[in-house]
Amino acid sequence: MSFKRLDPEDFLVSADSITAGAWTNNASTLATYHKNSSQAASDSGRYYVSVYNSDAAATQEVQFNIAYGESNGLGSLPYDGNIAGKSPTSTVYGQFQNIVLGDENSDFIFGEYTSSRFYALTLDRARFKGSLFPGTMTLTLSGSGVSTRTFTDNSKEVTSTVFNEAGRVFQLVSGSAGTVNTSVNTNGYSANSGSYGLFLPDIGTILLNPYALDGTADDGGIALATSDAVDTKAINTDKMFLAVSGGASFTINSQENLTSDFVFVRARNSEYNYSANPSFISSSTGAVLYNDFINAPQTFITTVGLYNDENELLATAKLSKPLKKDFTKETLVRVKLDF
Amino acid sequence: MGYLNNSVITVDAILTNKGRELLARGDGSFKITQFALSDDEIDYTLYNPTHPSGSAFYGQALESMPLLEAFPETTQNLRYKLVTLPRGTSKMPVLDVGLSQITLKQGASLVITPQTLNYLGANQVFESSGYTATIADVRTMNVFEGVGVNTTQATNLNSSQTLGTNVSKTVIGTSINLTATTVNTLFGTTLNELNTTLTLIGRDSGARITVPVKVTKTTT
Repeated sequence: MSFKRLDPEDFLVSADSITAGAWTNNASTLATYHKNSSQAASDSGRYYVSVYNSDAAATQEVQFNIAYGESNGLGSLPYDGNIAGKSPTSTVYGQFQNIVLGDENSDFIFGEYTSSRFYALTLDRARFKGSLFPGTMTLTLSGSGVSTRTFTDNSKEVTSTVFNEAGRVFQLVSGSAGTVNTSVNTNGYSANSGSYGLFLPDIGTILLNPYALDGTADDGGIALATSDAVDTKAINTDKMFLAVSGGASFTINSQENLTSDFVFVRARNSEYNYSANPSFISSSTGAVLYNDFINAPQTFITTVGLYNDENELLATAKLSKPLKKDFTKETLVRVKLDF
Repeated sequence: MGYLNNSVITVDAILTNKGRELLARGDGSFKITQFALSDDEIDYTLYNPTHPSGSAFYGQALESMPLLEAFPETTQNLRYKLVTLPRGTSKMPVLDVGLSQITLKQGASLVITPQTLNYLGANQVFESSGYTATIADVRTMNVFEGVGVNTTQATNLNSSQTLGTNVSKTVIGTSINLTATTVNTLFGTTLNELNTTLTLIGRDSGARITVPVKVTKTTT
């Protein structure tokens, strides 16, 4: 008898949260920023600019993308010069209305400030993995003629989490690593234009409020000077790229839930003390190798096999070193199955 | 006063080829219901019951040996299972199929009826639960079926079919029917024979035997 049935309580499904730096090689902070000229010049460059960690083609990976949305299509070339209001920025605006608000007639509200425009920083899927880890972000932006300012989410300050169509929603505020800077406003907002945006960890996206960023230093802004020009291709995504690369520090962690199946394998004292190993016997008659093995056999467990009802081997696990088993020992092995 | 050892050994499992195949089917056949333990890689001749330092050192040469990682190939894992037998067992169950090698011409048939020696106090028995038979490359057989065990598990296993590459197939029965393939393409342009293995395991005793199988080409 070599197979032993598992009881229902021998199975455990466990979800573990794994956090790590979001950027390539699990780095927490991204300090250098590069564009790819071919991407920027391509059709996709009308909608967003991809930000890379390196300018070397062999090693560069997309870290995040910058897009700009405006409800009336301002800030980019229209699709057709004869049709006003339809441009890549209006498309981006509608896209995020659909994803974040679930209502094409609603505008974004940053704090208490209603906005018809935003910058979107969307992290590459491979970077944010399952979601962004709230409370770890420090985004440094530099503006024209204004010293840098850092931004974080207010997840450590809120007493209850707000959800919308995009999952959890936190306000983007002045501060770092989840700690709010109250120098301009006690809640970390700008002086006159609400919060600095929305932190949407479940879709790996940060929406930035242009009105707050365009403000003066006294207002808590960085004088970003978001443009309504309709005669330039990607003027605002370029402005945001300069603000991010000028700040030279974007820190954030990713979070991933790994689901594992655990199977607890138990060998009682009377079980598994003999072996079908050919070296366990001394001859073709089946006599055990040593007389000691007749009453005090010892076996050495090296492998655990998991089977279905048909005795088909579905999964196997090896121990790091042999585990001695005899009539005086019981063994408990926890086998972890990751899917 | 010392601390009690409350550690639990944790090991990471990998899916075998068969496990991946059944998972891909998505028909519920990937369902872990039982386990077995083995001592693959252990050579018991290294166990030294005359060690001068005493019984605590008998297994010294085995206990600290490094082990290889698990293989995904189903037939290469848990080859030698640990078995539960009454204390005082002096002879281990051994399988006997009456053949040291199976050679079949294309299309030829053979019935194998294994017996178990030294089991349940008898010199020679047919195990009531039957035998598990695994052919390492199912493409070499037109017929590979187990008969004589009419449980649901045996019926399910015997009726399962996998087309395509050289995966193994496992059946259950008290007798195993083999008919060699008639497909010429498996031989390619140069081969005159196909080689694989048939592994038989007693479902009650855990005894195991692996027999080489050769299919010889008869047509061009």
